[in-house]
Amino acid sequence: MNKSRISPQKIILIFTGLLFGFFLLLPMVTILCKSFYKDGNATLEFYGNLFSNRSIFKAFGNSVLVSAASGIITTVLAFIPAYAVNFTNINKKLKKVISTLVILPMLLPTITYGFAIIYSFGKQGLITKLLDTQIVDIYGIAGLIIGYVIYTLPISFMLINNTMGYIDKKFTIVSRMMGDSKLKSFFATVITPLISTLAVSFIQSFTLSFTDYGIPAALAGNVDLLATRLYNEMLGSLPDFNTGSAVSIIMLLPSVASIILISVLNKYNIRYNKISVIELTKNRVRDIAFGMLSAVIILCVLSVFAVIFLVPFVEQWPYRMNFSIEHITDIFSDSSLISVYKNSLLVALATAGLGTLIVYGTALVSARRGEHRHYGKLPDTASLITNTIPGMVLGVAYLLSFKGTFLHNTFAILVICNIVHYFSSPYLMMKSSLEKLNASWETTARLMGDSWIKTVVRIITPNAVSTLLEVFSYFFVNAMVTVSAVIFLASTKTMIITAKIKELQHFANFNEIFVLSILILITNLAVKGLVRLFAAIRNRKGKKV
Amino acid sequence: MLELKNIEKSFDNVNVLNHVNFSVEDGEIVSILGSSGSGKTTLLNIILGITQPDSGEIFFDTHDITKVSMENRGFNIVFQDYALFPNLNAYENIVYGLRNKPNISTPGEVQELIELLGLKEHLNKNIEQLSGGQKQRVALARTLVMKPKILLLDEPLSALDGVIKESIKDKIKQIAKEYHLTTIIVTHDPEEALSLSDKVMIINGGTILQYAKPDEIINSPSDSFVTEFILRQLEIKRNNILALFGGNKTVAAV
Repeated sequence: MNKSRISPQKIILIFTGLLFGFFLLLPMVTILCKSFYKDGNATLEFYGNLFSNRSIFKAFGNSVLVSAASGIITTVLAFIPAYAVNFTNINKKLKKVISTLVILPMLLPTITYGFAIIYSFGKQGLITKLLDTQIVDIYGIAGLIIGYVIYTLPISFMLINNTMGYIDKKFTIVSRMMGDSKLKSFFATVITPLISTLAVSFIQSFTLSFTDYGIPAALAGNVDLLATRLYNEMLGSLPDFNTGSAVSIIMLLPSVASIILISVLNKYNIRYNKISVIELTKNRVRDIAFGMLSAVIILCVLSVFAVIFLVPFVEQWPYRMNFSIEHITDIFSDSSLISVYKNSLLVALATAGLGTLIVYGTALVSARRGEHRHYGKLPDTASLITNTIPGMVLGVAYLLSFKGTFLHNTFAILVICNIVHYFSSPYLMMKSSLEKLNASWETTARLMGDSWIKTVVRIITPNAVSTLLEVFSYFFVNAMVTVSAVIFLASTKTMIITAKIKELQHFANFNEIFVLSILILITNLAVKGLVRLFAAIRNRKGKKV
Repeated sequence: MLELKNIEKSFDNVNVLNHVNFSVEDGEIVSILGSSGSGKTTLLNIILGITQPDSGEIFFDTHDITKVSMENRGFNIVFQDYALFPNLNAYENIVYGLRNKPNISTPGEVQELIELLGLKEHLNKNIEQLSGGQKQRVALARTLVMKPKILLLDEPLSALDGVIKESIKDKIKQIAKEYHLTTIIVTHDPEEALSLSDKVMIINGGTILQYAKPDEIINSPSDSFVTEFILRQLEIKRNNILALFGGNKTVAAV
């Protein structure tokens, strides 16, 4: 074909290549080299030192233990509300409430959970006071597990809920007709098609817990974890970048293994050809039981967060318990905190805006490639790799790679880090949505004189708006709550809320921590609300004759 | 006149089209009839210009257009799934091409097309509010606004039911006649092909088995495939229908 100039698809691909070359490949190679080279010579010294000391095995073992325990508990707990939503005759509105409330913790940074747990279950905690007894010792394994469970419950719920939605409920009826007992029928038609999703849920929450820094930052106590070890090697009192790099690599390995395992497991997902809408059998006992259990789970999660809204409004927790808005006014008159909030907002908006643009561009070339069959490989590979790299490792890699460059201590590096870190899910979301659009639009429009860009603007984009909005809010919310990567990259000049919370911990400024957390929550709710409103308005317009 | 000479095409070393030679006269309706995997869609794509042949030449009015890009050939297509743009209403879909080439059809000509296809009362409707037949007619109108030199139709009737099918058939014939428009239709349905076209090309395994007028195909099938698969199918259908009407189950084969 007579193309003298370079196509826009190629430009997008070249840009994607450069982006991930500089901000994924280069940092990862840097961190790998850092762990194997000393003064330009290859060495195993850093790994040797690490492994000669038993403490790294202990940290690794602790991390595996708490993450695995959290993975099991989370998956079991998440199954209950998912079952209530998909397999009971509970009122539809109630189901909506359940699925909204379960995922609420996603809108807060993990570091907040840690402090909320301290103020709930600690010696002076709200729940401890109410029950007049401290249920668990939170500084240690138990506290960590509670934190991780709250953190990963929403993700696990979404995974299970999604697969359950695709299970054909008619099979339950068939199984009962064939004479299966209730229990047998439950295993054959609910659990069996869910097996691989349950496994994915376990692995996913294991990986998230294994690589999270927010919760251990508050609750690790004397428990040595890989995440805290990595933080201390890099930003502790005696920073050792080489050993830190080696710890990063150790953290990376299980994460890579998990993602590979998940992609294998996803192939075993049972897919029903057709989902028949069918009335579920009447069973009030089942409905009430699962409704109540879901309510209890949600209440437990919410009760932990209650303190966030309580503590800042009390004069001095827990000694002078009278209502006061003094802390709030203090905080809002503190210009440094306001500017931290503004910084966070700026980073989140930039991440969401640019991230959406990049995800859209790359998904367009890979999902709607027409005759360019091989075009999808680059963004697909980038998505796979970014998915395997924990935020902490990415943060450390950026710190090592861009220290001293013009990117050091800039907002740009925070934004880029967020986009690369969170690229995978929105990319896959966008791609699958674009793949569902009619494949002949581009050819048809081209025959009517459109260039590719014109077709994208006039036809594809108006039909992809709802997914674009979803992608935008995904990036925004995650940029607001992320701790792990940015903790290594935020400077005094570019301080954002989650990093500030970590700093405030040193001064035990919990009022400020909680108020900042509330700000994050409100902002995230507002953005989600706006996105939903916008989508609803568009939808209504579309339905009009 | 469209002429294809010695067209060859393989995908991943699998031969899809084999020495394909044929020509289509101006204003003719030609159907390419074959089952899935016969190579009919590849042939359509090669005529349209989406796919390049490995070897062979394509001539249009004696010009070699083998290397001419899809958009410069001046042909146009209605896809099987219509590919209507759901963010635009029926009218906006019909006049989409005028955004890029404002003078290709006059407002009068557009109105004429709308009348001809009976779309007047549907112009402000969203795409999802249209029935299958209406969608097909909107897609036809949108393509005809572009005044294509050749109209290609990919399985134009497969998504439609009974009576609508017949009325769209009539419209296609009417358009070809009124605009003296060369029309090439791809289909897997023998009844459709034989009742709609001036000439039918039967293709199997990438080779043309017979290219002739419908009555020639019926009366002197060139190949056992044509007899066994194409004519046999029509006979069973005919017998079933005759049985329904008169109970005369012993109609001899023609």
